[in-house]
Amino acid sequence: MFYLRYLRNELLRRRARTILTLLGLGLGVALVVAISSVSSGLDKAQRKTLDPLGGIGTDLTVTLSPQQNQGGFGAGGLGGGRDLLTANQSALTDLSKLGKPGTHFVHDFFLPGTQLTFRQSAAQQIAKLAGVAQVSSGLTLLAEHQEGVVPKIVATLRTRRRTFTITRAIARPTAAEFAKMQTCLQKLNPQGSSTPGVGFVTPGGGADRAAFAKCLPARLRKLRTQFTPPQETLRQVLNPPQTNITTRAYTIGGVDQTHPSMGVVTAAQVTKGRFLSAAGGREALVSAAYAAKQKLKVGAKLDLNGKTFEVVGLVDPPLGGQSADVYLPLKQLQALANEAGLANVVLVRAESSSQVAEVKAEIERALPGAQVASSKDVAAKITGSLVDAKNLSHDLGLVLEILAAAAAFLLAALLALTSVGKRVCELGTLKALGWTQRMVVRQVAGESLATGVLGGLFGIALGVLAALAVDAFGPSLSASASTGGGTSLFGLGAETARKATSTVSLDAPVGIAILAIGFALALLGGLIAGTAGALRAARLRPADALRQME
Amino acid sequence: MTALYSLESVAKLFQRGPSTVRALDGVDLEIEPGEIVAIEGPSGSGKTTLLQLLGALDRPSAGRVFFEGRDLATLPDHELAALRLRSFGFVFQQFNLIPTLTAVENVEAKLAPTGVTDRDLRDRALALLAEVGLVERAIHLPGHLSGGEQQRVAIARALSVEPRVVLADEPTGNLDTTTGAETIELLTGLAAEHGSTVIVATHDVGLASRAPRRLAMRDGRLVEAPAPAAA
Repeated sequence: MFYLRYLRNELLRRRARTILTLLGLGLGVALVVAISSVSSGLDKAQRKTLDPLGGIGTDLTVTLSPQQNQGGFGAGGLGGGRDLLTANQSALTDLSKLGKPGTHFVHDFFLPGTQLTFRQSAAQQIAKLAGVAQVSSGLTLLAEHQEGVVPKIVATLRTRRRTFTITRAIARPTAAEFAKMQTCLQKLNPQGSSTPGVGFVTPGGGADRAAFAKCLPARLRKLRTQFTPPQETLRQVLNPPQTNITTRAYTIGGVDQTHPSMGVVTAAQVTKGRFLSAAGGREALVSAAYAAKQKLKVGAKLDLNGKTFEVVGLVDPPLGGQSADVYLPLKQLQALANEAGLANVVLVRAESSSQVAEVKAEIERALPGAQVASSKDVAAKITGSLVDAKNLSHDLGLVLEILAAAAAFLLAALLALTSVGKRVCELGTLKALGWTQRMVVRQVAGESLATGVLGGLFGIALGVLAALAVDAFGPSLSASASTGGGTSLFGLGAETARKATSTVSLDAPVGIAILAIGFALALLGGLIAGTAGALRAARLRPADALRQME
Repeated sequence: MTALYSLESVAKLFQRGPSTVRALDGVDLEIEPGEIVAIEGPSGSGKTTLLQLLGALDRPSAGRVFFEGRDLATLPDHELAALRLRSFGFVFQQFNLIPTLTAVENVEAKLAPTGVTDRDLRDRALALLAEVGLVERAIHLPGHLSGGEQQRVAIARALSVEPRVVLADEPTGNLDTTTGAETIELLTGLAAEHGSTVIVATHDVGLASRAPRRLAMRDGRLVEAPAPAAA
């Protein structure tokens, strides 16, 4: 086909122009593709990390607001009336109860953190509300893991020897008493000499002494027997015992393992191993980040207060909301933490997403004091470079994309126009030869189309390479959120609700749609520009076109 | 018998900035089929403009140009294009070959729109190159051909569709004297073989004097030729 050969010759034999056009189009398309894929990578990372509830199959979380700790819900339940501060005080370690001094001990304390516990029956109450599809209760606790050697606590109390000197004026014995004494002494000691004298009996030898004591009138004897030293309390400050006890805090979540699709962690988030079995045995799930820090693997054993749990899977829980480091079956955690029948979060799934707001209001009405959070509320509390990058890409990504596309488009158009401008005489010649306007336009548009196709392909290749480079050297982005509710209560929140940070390595998935858009842009840019140029040239009268010889 | 061309008071005006240039000013002319006509005159006398009007590359500002009884001014663009394709062959001073096409492809560029099948296209183009003695240079690009060779390619291209008229505008203007003479020989000889009328515009009086019919132009008007050739 002559026209195709002509087209090929134009591209091949005007190599510099063709390469320049291809480079321009390619770079533009590559930029669009790269920016789009980075942006969609961010979207993906955000969906994974920043959709805290959607990831666990939940629309709303219901917690008990600490400010409302009087009464609460669950008909004045145990948890409802419990003061948060008191609840958290059990973290004080009683060293004397750890075991024999010198032995190694491990102990985990489970504290409610900032979320008050309440009866699980609240979940049933919520389940009955209109628009609620499913509920699941969970218990997210702050755990203090203590480990070390039981210290020796020896207190040596040495008291000072004391002498009490009591001086007291004693009334002399009356005559009657005196006579009685005399009689008594004589009776006990008949052979002894009676010592009549000034009137007072002088104690003599041993036997006399005993007799004297016996015969002393009761009133005088009382002075000796009734003496009591004043009562006193000894306070002894002990030196703090030297110990090597270390404390490590982590979060632990109780999962209703019978609902693997909904709970504080779900089967969907298992990255390695498996989800907790429905039976709810001594099994545990560990978040991937915590596992890496503690060097835990699937199959590892966790010792929690004498009970051994096997790590059956690693999970990648979404940030915020109810994420924890370790997950146990709810009943197991309740038993461990001495919180039987109690939960501190109810996860609620609405029948449809349009009903979420309605259900939220319904729950708030039915359970005064309940804190109902939607996915958006929780996501809003997440911060970190991922969020920054996401915001940046949201604000800037589209602008950059449009700029890159516009630049590519303009460049293609400009190159097509100048190339047509330089060929006005050639196109005039074609018309002089008898080519119709349509044929000339078709030929030039064909060239532009071919350039667009090639430029688009080149750009796509370049863009995919860029995306792969991002994948390979991808910067890591982090997102942080406080776990365990996150409501600060007299500064307690700051201590007990810790920050959970999730690190995401950015990848740039290249979608077919992005490629198609980039390709279409290159095509359209070249085509419109080429056709516009060709029309301009073809509309000239051949004589005018030929006159532009130089 | 109708004249091939019949021009009645043809004028062509160009706007050059604020002033109007009269490139053609009341030209009356008749040309019969099979004639070989030379139009001589200095540059700027209106030769090229006249040739462009004859070749339907442009429309007159006033007057009428009849080609085989049809008023070119009344024909729509696509019919003019069809006329240029099948009835006219152009030879330009600058050769006007497409620089990215080889010699044979340049001939094909004229043949292809006539609907010649792909198979015949190459054969016919090569046959025409053979007529101008360039078959061995068929796959060379214009840039690799001498001026004379380029003009021979242009002649082959112009004659490829057996046109009624070959219009040559200063065909020797960029060639040395010898090559120019050879080129004119070739053009007139082949045109006669193909039954085409030849109209050559030139400022070369010597060249013009060899033509059977000589027309002279001064300032857009046809004037008496200084020395009529032997008729």
